[in-house]
Amino acid sequence: MTKKMVYAGEIVPLSLSDYLGEPACVIFFSGCNFDCGYCQNWRLKKGSEEHLTDVEKIKKAISENKLVTACKVTGGEPLLQLDALLEIGRFAKSIGLKFGIDTNGSLPDALADILPLLDLVSIDIKAELDEESYRAVTGLTSPPVSAVIKSLEIAMRSDAYVELRMVVIPGYNDKLSTVRSISKILRGMGYEEKASEGKACFNLIEFVPENAFDEDFRRIRNPSASLLRDLALASGLKNARITHRGVGILKPVD
Amino acid sequence: MMTEAILNGRLPPPVRRSDGVIEPFDKERIVKSLVKETQLVKVLYNLPPMSEEDARKIAEEVEEDIKNMKLRFLSGPLIRELVSVKLLEHGFDKYRNVYTRVGMPLYDVYSIDHSEGYEAKENANLQPNPETFHKKKADFLSKESYLLMMPPRIADAHLRGDIHIHDLEYWGTRPFCQDHDLRYFFFYGLMPDGTGTHTSVAGPAKHAEVAILHAAKVLGAAQTNFAGGQGFFNFTVFMAPYLMGLDDKKIHQLAQMFLYEMTQLYVARGGQPVFSSIQIEVGVPKVWQDAPVVSHGKVWRDLTYGNLEDRVHAFANALLDEYLKGDAMGKMFNFPKPEVVQRRRYWTDSNFEDVMLKAAQLSAKYGSTYYDNVVPAYRGGEDGVSCFQCCAYAFAEDGSSEDFKRKINFEDGAHFSMGGMQVITLNLPRIAYRSGGDESRLYEILKETMDIAKDALLLKHKIMVQQFEKGLIPFASQRPKGAPPAVDIENLTHTIGFVGMNELVEHMTGYELHEDPSAQKLALKVLIEMDRIRKGYSEETGLKFSIARTPAESCAQRFAVADMIHYPKYAKEYVKGDLERAMSLYGETKDVPIYYTNGAHVNVAAKVPLYERLAIEQRFFPILKGGDIFHVWLGEANPDPEALLKLNKKLALESWIGYWSHTKDITVCRSCGFVGGGLNESCPMCRSQDIRVYSRITGYYQDVASWNAAKKQELKDRYRIRLSA
Repeated sequence: MTKKMVYAGEIVPLSLSDYLGEPACVIFFSGCNFDCGYCQNWRLKKGSEEHLTDVEKIKKAISENKLVTACKVTGGEPLLQLDALLEIGRFAKSIGLKFGIDTNGSLPDALADILPLLDLVSIDIKAELDEESYRAVTGLTSPPVSAVIKSLEIAMRSDAYVELRMVVIPGYNDKLSTVRSISKILRGMGYEEKASEGKACFNLIEFVPENAFDEDFRRIRNPSASLLRDLALASGLKNARITHRGVGILKPVD
Repeated sequence: MMTEAILNGRLPPPVRRSDGVIEPFDKERIVKSLVKETQLVKVLYNLPPMSEEDARKIAEEVEEDIKNMKLRFLSGPLIRELVSVKLLEHGFDKYRNVYTRVGMPLYDVYSIDHSEGYEAKENANLQPNPETFHKKKADFLSKESYLLMMPPRIADAHLRGDIHIHDLEYWGTRPFCQDHDLRYFFFYGLMPDGTGTHTSVAGPAKHAEVAILHAAKVLGAAQTNFAGGQGFFNFTVFMAPYLMGLDDKKIHQLAQMFLYEMTQLYVARGGQPVFSSIQIEVGVPKVWQDAPVVSHGKVWRDLTYGNLEDRVHAFANALLDEYLKGDAMGKMFNFPKPEVVQRRRYWTDSNFEDVMLKAAQLSAKYGSTYYDNVVPAYRGGEDGVSCFQCCAYAFAEDGSSEDFKRKINFEDGAHFSMGGMQVITLNLPRIAYRSGGDESRLYEILKETMDIAKDALLLKHKIMVQQFEKGLIPFASQRPKGAPPAVDIENLTHTIGFVGMNELVEHMTGYELHEDPSAQKLALKVLIEMDRIRKGYSEETGLKFSIARTPAESCAQRFAVADMIHYPKYAKEYVKGDLERAMSLYGETKDVPIYYTNGAHVNVAAKVPLYERLAIEQRFFPILKGGDIFHVWLGEANPDPEALLKLNKKLALESWIGYWSHTKDITVCRSCGFVGGGLNESCPMCRSQDIRVYSRITGYYQDVASWNAAKKQELKDRYRIRLSA
């Protein structure tokens, strides 16, 4: 049998901040189709030879870990390596763990394939959902905004818990009008209903400049906790929450 | 004329005595003082004092020497040192021990007053302030004296670094620590000085505020009698009777009052807050369910603690809410340490979920919760009483002890008194070095070293019982209205701690604890052997002995440094930290960034997942009944409290860990007031450099700036559970 290999740069055996409400084992796939200046995991942007890992080894690492209740694959963009992702997902579920992924939303077909396995899907919303705003953050000349919207739609219709994450970067996506426009689109997709069932949340996250990939982004100041709070309130969405070093995780709307 | 005679050496110069008088030299004073003061060798070592004849001979020779020195100036202290030298010349070492002066170089006094040098950082809980400077000078003098007073075999073992005698400055005056039984004070009232002669005497509290203030003052008063931590076991349960009929707001107010009292009564030894802890039960433990309530100066006939479970629950909630709020600046309350008890019922009855979640939220926000897990069978289950004290030392009474029932019912004032007499720590790596890698030799040297520790502990016991009986530990020995003494001095635990199991096995097997099962197996074997020896001590003496991991705030560094002196060949290979920097600093200071791993912990820098570390360390808990702690170093700035809650549940119900905490590093900005996660070099909000960084040093939180170099190095080396990618 030939070994199935995957570009995975790192395994974090226990994380208390990657999987909502669960202590989780986190696998970092490497390789990404975006080029975000604020990226915190930029060392994993390219799938390099030294990241190549046997899928069996990953499965072993997950199964040995008795302290976690969930497994999450992040990256990079996990959906770029769908086969390995499916295999890891099926394995995690088979040993009774919850399974989730992070995605930038650019690969709706792959997402549709994995969705039946997912207990949690965390989708990035980089900025207002239009090409110009996305271009500024992702560094792509023609960012796949319609694909992102499609991903949001199918996630919203699935049984998985949907976490919508926006890293708030001053100057890029910190206007009240930005969250209002996003919240309008989300409502149109049935966000409020899903959130009332306790199956969706909108998470506004502090941008940490020290860890950013791009030098220009490193010069930007981090947003204050009160700005995040204002944005969460302006979104008017149920289950809006903020994550900031000064306050930890807060649900200002509840 | 006289000056000339002095300079010609025919007359000694006049003497400036230390009591402020100048008078002519008189050798008879030396004779008299030698005969009088060497009586101490009878008391301390059971040897005969000096004869008058010998004393006179010494005095005459000293007089001759002084004349030949042609000094213009002579002082009492100087003569005393000349006599000491003369005693050594004649082989009277023991007489010299008791005749010598103790004290310190003037330079050191100056350094202490200006908060410089190694002593400035021995205990991170000591802030530089006038009280602290005073304490440090007194400590120095006391330490030197006690080392001279104890048998040289014990003193030398300490000085060489075979063992470490903790709180040496209090060797002859204070027992170590105590977890008090609040019922005693709610029944008899409060006498802070223990006799009622220097302080007013209060009757038993009749109101909730008074009960809270009495509780705070018990810990403050007791601190003056003890070297170590002060706490209350079962705190929420014993407070419950005072909370009957109060609304939630009022209960929160009381909880807040207590936390402020304990962090603002800045009065303990040398100006620090009382080193305190409280055990937070969420409900009423089985043994207390049917026990009569003791409060308001009486034992209630028709009210049991079981009847007050909702008050206990409300108070636990209120305390955690106030801990979560922090102080007016948003900083954590680092004392009293909240010890949240873990029982199976608290996890299976959804009624208690609220407190378990708040405990997790507190860990996520400040890292300050401690989890005292009585679920594992070795903790004695639901039939005993136990607690973890401030420094993670554990004390217990199992339900089968003869007075247990009487204590539960407070019959004739019978109550629990759990605590430690003294801790002596073993330098395990050195035992390995000395064994030459031979395992049977290792056990022989282990036994020899433990025997020295035992002898020291028995000596401490003897001295403390004498002091106690003479009324010289008056808060502890108080007997209001003929009650049994507040503290049961005979029942205190004699703890043998240890540092560097990881380095011991590394030397013996070639592997650190996390590297190979053979290393873990040997560690377990050594612990079992230590426990066997300990049992022998208990049987032989009828006293409580226990084995514990030592918090080792300064002794993990001291042993590493001592071994660099005495066993440099090995030590270079095994000490942890930054050896290169330590070597370059060594000529200047003893405060260097090297250390041994605490207790039987895995190397803090080992890159092993938490579950692997858990699998290794949990096996040691059942043996370390004297105390151990499992550290979770949180690497993330924003841990999710609900994820943490689930991790706690697993640790409580599925592991053998008896005591753990999550350590979160915290930055506090003094410019903008930001308080948040992470070890930052500047404020993440306003970029100010005027910040303070807090983390858990060994068993409590403190400003990192006040840590010693070895502990700072360890903080850097800690492998946290989440790497930032």
